Amino acid sequence: MSTSSAPLPHRSVANIRSPSGSGRHHPSQHHQQQGTGPSTPHRPVPSSFGSPSGLRADEEIIIIELGTRKIQVGFSGDAAPRGCVWFGPDQQRRAGDFRDWQADYRFDWKAADAGGFWSRDHELWSYDVRGADLGLVGDKLEKALREAFTKYLLIDSRPRRMVWIIPSTLPVPLLSTALDSIFSRFQPPTISLLSSSLSLAVGAGVRSALVVDLGWNETTVTSVYEYREVSTRRSIRGGKMLVEQTHKLLAKHILESQEGSGDSGEHFVSFEECSDITARMVWCKPRQNLGSGQPTSDTLTTVKEQDEGENEDPVVDDEPGAGSTEPQRPGAIAIPLRSCSPPKLLELPFDSLSEPCESAFFDTQYSLSSFDDHELPVHLLIYHSLLQLPLDVRALCMSRIIFTGGCAGVLGLRARIFDEVSHLIQERGWDPVQGKAVHQFLTNPKLKQKRGRKSTSHSGHGGDEEHDDEEQDDVWHDAANTIPEVDMIEEQVKRGTDNRPRVQGQMRAVESLGTWGGASLATHLKAPAVAVIDRELWLLHGAAGASKAGEVDQKAQRQSLGPGGLMRVSVAGSSWTLGVWGTN
Amino acid sequence: MAALTPYTFIQCPCSDSSTLGRPSDANPAANATNDDDEEADEDNRTFDPRAPRSNFSLYPLEYLLYCEDCHQIRCPRCVSEEIASYYCPSCLFEVPSSNLKSEGNRCTRNCFQCPICIGPLAVTSVETKPDPSLLAAPDNAAAPHSGPYALTCSYCHWTSTEAGLKFDRPNNIHAQLTKLRNGGLTRLTARERRERRKDPAYRAHLAAAAAVAVAAASEDVDDVEERGRGPGIEEKESLDVETQFANLKSFYQAQLANPNSSDTGLTGLGDLGFSSPTSLSRIMSIYTGGSLRDKKAKSRVGAMREALDADEGFQPARLDESAAIAALQAHGFDGTSSTAQLAEQPVNIGEPAFPHGQAHFASDLRPVPHLLRTKRSKRCPVCRHIISKPEAKVQTTRFRIRLVAGSYIPSIAIRPLALSPIPNTSSSFSSTSAPIPTSTSASASGPAIPGALLEPLRPAHFVLTFKNPIFESVKITLGAPAHTPGRFSSKVTVLCPEFQIDANTDVWDEALKEGLATTGGGAASGERDPRERRRRRGGTEDGSQSGINPTTQLEVGKIWERGRNWVSIVVEVVPPSLSTLPSGGGDSGLPLQEDEDVLEIPLFVRVEWEAEMGGDEVGSVMPGVGGSKEKGEGREKRELAYWCVLGLGRIRR
Repeated sequence: MSTSSAPLPHRSVANIRSPSGSGRHHPSQHHQQQGTGPSTPHRPVPSSFGSPSGLRADEEIIIIELGTRKIQVGFSGDAAPRGCVWFGPDQQRRAGDFRDWQADYRFDWKAADAGGFWSRDHELWSYDVRGADLGLVGDKLEKALREAFTKYLLIDSRPRRMVWIIPSTLPVPLLSTALDSIFSRFQPPTISLLSSSLSLAVGAGVRSALVVDLGWNETTVTSVYEYREVSTRRSIRGGKMLVEQTHKLLAKHILESQEGSGDSGEHFVSFEECSDITARMVWCKPRQNLGSGQPTSDTLTTVKEQDEGENEDPVVDDEPGAGSTEPQRPGAIAIPLRSCSPPKLLELPFDSLSEPCESAFFDTQYSLSSFDDHELPVHLLIYHSLLQLPLDVRALCMSRIIFTGGCAGVLGLRARIFDEVSHLIQERGWDPVQGKAVHQFLTNPKLKQKRGRKSTSHSGHGGDEEHDDEEQDDVWHDAANTIPEVDMIEEQVKRGTDNRPRVQGQMRAVESLGTWGGASLATHLKAPAVAVIDRELWLLHGAAGASKAGEVDQKAQRQSLGPGGLMRVSVAGSSWTLGVWGTN
Repeated sequence: MAALTPYTFIQCPCSDSSTLGRPSDANPAANATNDDDEEADEDNRTFDPRAPRSNFSLYPLEYLLYCEDCHQIRCPRCVSEEIASYYCPSCLFEVPSSNLKSEGNRCTRNCFQCPICIGPLAVTSVETKPDPSLLAAPDNAAAPHSGPYALTCSYCHWTSTEAGLKFDRPNNIHAQLTKLRNGGLTRLTARERRERRKDPAYRAHLAAAAAVAVAAASEDVDDVEERGRGPGIEEKESLDVETQFANLKSFYQAQLANPNSSDTGLTGLGDLGFSSPTSLSRIMSIYTGGSLRDKKAKSRVGAMREALDADEGFQPARLDESAAIAALQAHGFDGTSSTAQLAEQPVNIGEPAFPHGQAHFASDLRPVPHLLRTKRSKRCPVCRHIISKPEAKVQTTRFRIRLVAGSYIPSIAIRPLALSPIPNTSSSFSSTSAPIPTSTSASASGPAIPGALLEPLRPAHFVLTFKNPIFESVKITLGAPAHTPGRFSSKVTVLCPEFQIDANTDVWDEALKEGLATTGGGAASGERDPRERRRRRGGTEDGSQSGINPTTQLEVGKIWERGRNWVSIVVEVVPPSLSTLPSGGGDSGLPLQEDEDVLEIPLFVRVEWEAEMGGDEVGSVMPGVGGSKEKGEGREKRELAYWCVLGLGRIRR
């Protein structure tokens, strides 16, 4: 554990499990707890002694990952989802409408486009709920889920528990609508909500992570520390923007070949086709590094916040070969376009297919200070997220970067983002203050010798140095003054951690099983979910019945792996919560 | 513009979600008041068929079932389903439900679809000798390569060798396929992996094999590195999804179970320091066990560490995708797999975790085992009566029980009415081949040909024929908004909104009666006579066809035509002009959306009839939507009300 000589403010994050709290939980401290206060521990009904039917139904928990463009469903304990349903205009047709199968039928996407539905028919929801037809969201979700159940899960309509994986930024009206629709149509006894970034961390086998979700609507960067979401930042640079940029590129080339005549804002190819081309052909250039052959390793040395060689740096070889200068790739790529009239074969240079990615995620032609908060380039977003974290959290998170989301599949994008962030860190360090004055200050030869060293040692040193155990222990004892508890923690630390050091303080990307896989794992291990919503209670109260996450006993609602119970039957009258979703 | 066949869609009443979960034994009084409210609601509410939500609740009559006990329409959304059997649609082999859990939702026999064109794949022998590098790959060397087989598509000539998949035996392809990675490398199970690592001979063997098959796949590349860096460094090993999942699972389980053996289980209660007998502590553990167990759990969680190496499921990311980018450039657009192809692909749990089983290139696509299907029996969610039950045998398509709504609620047939003096076009059912009314003098001329475009702003008439399928005479009340909702509002007038349809009596009775009436008549008179007999327009019998004045014919409140168990009425519509010029309305400048030129009218249908009380139903009968019981002389009044949408035709743009 982070037994470090860090100043106390940083400690406080490390010890979210506060000494008194953990003491309350240790059996041997039971009498002490009785003495300290009259607080009655929360008593959830144990999972294994719940109703017998609960035991039987444990094997069939349906895990549903709700995304903006698709849902993935499967059973808990499987390594991969059984099926995936994409949202599209086909689903919004009436039953018995088989025009899709007619040979001469073609979806009139131009008309839909003019109605402003170029991409909207392919989304379940948009996070902007102003003017959204919430009932339609419920209907869409229900239909997609029904299709998934019938086609992939092959299950009947007996009630089954569900676990939903949703991003923690999901607005409450959407969540409430979705819950309403599913509770009334499918009769699941409970729906548990899992945050997607937490399940990603579980799926990667780490307890802290920086989850970079290159999603459809937006890119979110979530820092997870000890299975808690510490902070979330987002930017509108996501898949939608990428597809739009791709369309811009295609439109440019179409217009070139057509010699003019075309308004801007009009779409030239259908969304399906554009999205397909984006998924197939768009790639991302590696970072154009000007200089050192091994930038990543340089970065590591600068950034590294622990100066011991105890980690054998398993990452270095995994770093992308950004040092190799990319040759200009000649050759044209022919892309057949079917949805524009007349159909044509569009020839583009291969290099140009990396432009959408460039402008959607990086926009390097603009200065980094020219962006608004909602449209930060992804690498800057990650850097800012890291920068705002407390030191020890940052040290853990930066070496556990997990890329996920639909756009993570764009070839080269992950490596590019990783390099850009590394470069930013190398360039700026962890100094939140930027600008000319800082630069002058740092380059001032008079100040440099004294101040410069001091500041670097301050910023670079404050982190987690995992040595000098005795001295740390002394500090710790003095500070906390609660000897038995410290003993307990130390004991646990010794017992549990194998004394193997944690990788921290260096940039490292980690592979995860994916959101769905992580949730499947967590559910299989019966980890308690953030929020368990009982059907009866929901139908009775709706979202208004949820208590605020803060009011509920944190110990009972913790997002931790333990044999407690996701499957805890929530007793009527007991408080339940929507978790993080209830607060925003 | 394609011709449009007139259609009818019915909105299942369940889309009002309040009616779905209503308990079956609610007392009638409460029901009645409830229904009154609903009626009031429904009277005021105009159903908009163009609203995006209504697409989800509209069904053709053929899709609907009917619960005889609740007297209620049941749509696919409001039935509860049970699975009768699982089968593969390709080989029609029934799969036991126990296999489903273990082997997934796809056919495990030799049923495969082509990943490119979804055609069926056949097992054929590969003539060419296999690649020597494949032979040298680990665990493959010992296998006999007498005749490698491949799956080929006879339609698009795709073969599985394109993904590097060859099979040793022509049977049990599915099992072989799960063991093969793309490129033909054998996939190791977790156990094999563990054993392999312990085997000292493996490394020597690996060194030799890797030297040969150095370029084969990433795993081998890694193995080379592994060899170079010596034992102990195995983070480089790239796990596939399934193995990573298994490793992580065992890691977490070990972590959760590990820390202190005395802590686990119920014996840990001794730590509490209570000097209570064990029995008491056991009882306590039952009632307070949750919190106590939780405490232990949390103390343990604190001790849990992270996964550190591949054995524990940890995988550093492989960010270097330059090889894939080069391949992308080399293969071009056609070398990549399309979204539709990817959607067909099952998640390939045999490949490394990152793209989560998604193949980017067409050469990565694998044969798709057929998805299994189910035969389902359906129950009414309220009374649990079975309303549809298929034969369990896979090969038969028959149903044992199937209460289709078409045999309970009146069907609506639509045909255009040409009010022209030409005989036979306006009355007989075989008028579909009628000639085009050539410039009739009447202003109220509609298209006589089904599917012809409707002229904007000119009244058109349609004959709606309601056919009563049940053996009671029913009373039908229609309601339609005078102006259809939506951007282009057409005027609708139902000329006869209330009428009675006779019971669906025995066909033979009717035929005999007809036979009596038309004995000795020629073909022409035989055609005319029943028509004259049927045509009782408001009681006034006018038989002469030629003397019909079209304008006086359409009397408001009069039935157009009537038969044994059917009644035709006329609806007059005035289609709007579909001009999308920005004339003032906010959204009128938008071009026409798909199907917006179809003239659809919402129609509220209320069916009332008196039915015999079934002997077993007495006391347990559920009133329908607006059902009110009259337990008089064993007959009860029943009522069914629903919205439907009539698609009449396309309007000329």
